[in-house]
Amino acid sequence: QDGGGLREAMAGVARRLLRRDLGVAAGPPSTRQLREAEEAAPIFQYAGKAARRKDRVFVWGFSYSGALGVPSFVRPDAGWKKPRRIQPTPYRLETEEKISSAACGYGFTLLASNTRDITKVWGMGLNKDSQLGFQRSRRDQTKGYEYVLEPSPIPLPLEKPQQTRVMQVSCGRAHSLVLTDSEGVFTMGNNSYGQCGRKVVENEIYSGSHLIHQLKEFDSRVVQVVCGQDHSLFRTKKGTVYACGWGADGQTGLGHYNITSVPTKLHGDIDGVNIIQVSSYGDCCLAVSDEGDVFGWGNSEYLQLASVTETTQVNVPRHLPFKIGKIKEAACGGTGNVVLTEEGNVFVWGYGILGKGPNLIETAVPEMIPPSLFGWSDFSPDIRVAHVRCGLSQFAALTNRGELFVWGKNLRGCLGTGRMEDQYFPWRVTVPGEVVDVACGVDHMVSMVRSFT
Amino acid sequence: LNAAPGRAPRQRVRFLPAPAPGGGGAVELVAARVPVLADHPLVRGPRFRKLKIGAGHRLDVKASGVFVLGIGHGNKLLTDLYNCHLTKVYTVGGLFGKATDDFSDTGNLVEKTTFDHVTREKLERILAVIQGTNQKALLMYSNIDMKTQEAYELAVKGLIRPMGKSPPIITAVRCLQFGLPEFQLEIHCLHETQQYLRKMVHEIGLELKSSAVCTQVRRIRDGVFTVDDALPRTQWNLQSIQEAIRNCQLKVETELEKILG
Repeated sequence: QDGGGLREAMAGVARRLLRRDLGVAAGPPSTRQLREAEEAAPIFQYAGKAARRKDRVFVWGFSYSGALGVPSFVRPDAGWKKPRRIQPTPYRLETEEKISSAACGYGFTLLASNTRDITKVWGMGLNKDSQLGFQRSRRDQTKGYEYVLEPSPIPLPLEKPQQTRVMQVSCGRAHSLVLTDSEGVFTMGNNSYGQCGRKVVENEIYSGSHLIHQLKEFDSRVVQVVCGQDHSLFRTKKGTVYACGWGADGQTGLGHYNITSVPTKLHGDIDGVNIIQVSSYGDCCLAVSDEGDVFGWGNSEYLQLASVTETTQVNVPRHLPFKIGKIKEAACGGTGNVVLTEEGNVFVWGYGILGKGPNLIETAVPEMIPPSLFGWSDFSPDIRVAHVRCGLSQFAALTNRGELFVWGKNLRGCLGTGRMEDQYFPWRVTVPGEVVDVACGVDHMVSMVRSFT
Repeated sequence: LNAAPGRAPRQRVRFLPAPAPGGGGAVELVAARVPVLADHPLVRGPRFRKLKIGAGHRLDVKASGVFVLGIGHGNKLLTDLYNCHLTKVYTVGGLFGKATDDFSDTGNLVEKTTFDHVTREKLERILAVIQGTNQKALLMYSNIDMKTQEAYELAVKGLIRPMGKSPPIITAVRCLQFGLPEFQLEIHCLHETQQYLRKMVHEIGLELKSSAVCTQVRRIRDGVFTVDDALPRTQWNLQSIQEAIRNCQLKVETELEKILG
């Protein structure tokens, strides 16, 4: 009681003082006073008219290989941090430059920027076959790192390092390819099957190797490089496809089942056809022509090419006669394939979790995924799928609104949904930004995102 | 209501004594239909002394729009409609540049910001993200096992929705008008409160690196009842109410049958 009385007395004194000093009426402020106070309030500016949208990189999946590029997940640098084996939701990765191209291999990642600076490509993850080039160890200057936990620059032997730009990167099981605009293709990593485009050296030790091979002999400029598991595909400006590497499943498409160590031109059904996109990740390959046809070769044990042949290995590119419309983009996974048509429909076939519920396990003929699963409805009828990508047993689709949908086997949290269960139909991944591109690997994924404002 | 002609009194067959034909003092029992005295209006009193009126989903003081009431038997239909979990549609008006403590334009000012960098495109991008995250919430709170074929089929048709308690979920958002500094949104939602919608306007402002307050919340649809079915203040009389009930009866019945079976 006494305390309350004292407080009231103090308040009364304060009010009287105010009245005496400022001559302002005490009591609740009138509307006019409120309005004046509001108009006199300072205005804060958080973003100007010329504010640019920022480009960011988000990673998620299995982190112990170092493929996510966050060292504190593997070796915590503070006492309270615990090692994080799996990053189940997208995590922002700080990069020095704007990353224009990314590729996920089997336990490692390559990030590339199309800048003119000296450092254009960064790599992280497994480096036991020097798929990330030679990363000099700080403890022992003669040896290289076997696991790279942070995005580290890869020194490319460029002739004009301050003029050449890196256009695209691609990663396979233990090798990687870097495509430049004027100096051809650089290959590094394991070459036991000739996948690096150079002659196979017996008993070559790939760990800690400095060798980065340069490939320049193609009929025209190379515009796309794709790595399969142990083979490489090159697509040139003229629309021809070259291949090298392991061919036991016919994935080189050269008409035989042997190893090829020099990039050789493919014929078969794609001879004379202008190919605008090639895709591969496992042992099967798909190519899309400018007229909307799709061609396939390689492994067909999972009914990927069963629409044209009963054999389980196809070593010559064959036209796949699907009547689903003009095809814009194709992506090949380990056991399943996905294509995107001009109308924006997504078709899947093959084996595994294809995205049409748990009942559809395998099909040789493409089946369409209903667009309502990607957010299409009467309320928003102009949502279309813009790109499709494939990991080893996952699929990813990007819509024109910048949303990312994933489905497939959730191997070590690589889907990024936040749950560890497999996803049988397309599920939206919550990314704080508009997803521009995504690269899928075996157990991790990397996405390039632009912020909203 | 009491002035309206009431039900006719019940009739009962009673055996009444009547003088027998043929004279004499003999009394015969004759069957006759006689109105029951207990049903007489003077005995019974006025038919309606109280009316049970129940309200549907709440609408707070600062909001306006469709408000569903149930009379008598309608209260039971109200509970059934609540269990249907149908979406409600609101038009929400917002104003950029201010942030207040209760997220509406009548609250105490917290901050003023610039908003000249806000464009319709940025707003629509944010709305797309809101829709996407709420879509995920819709699937998660519907308590269906994602691994079943049934879940896949429902997801394709877009029929997955939480049939129990859940936090507010927005099923669709659309920008109706945009003119700096004001804008208007149409929001379809479930299990929400009007304050949640105002908070959402505030959060949209924050996401666009500015600030926003909500100026208007108006419910234009509550399940099957739209603004066209609703009675304005001038029509709050017996005839219009009875007509409105008659018009909506069929709609309500079909909807309940469809969802609850």
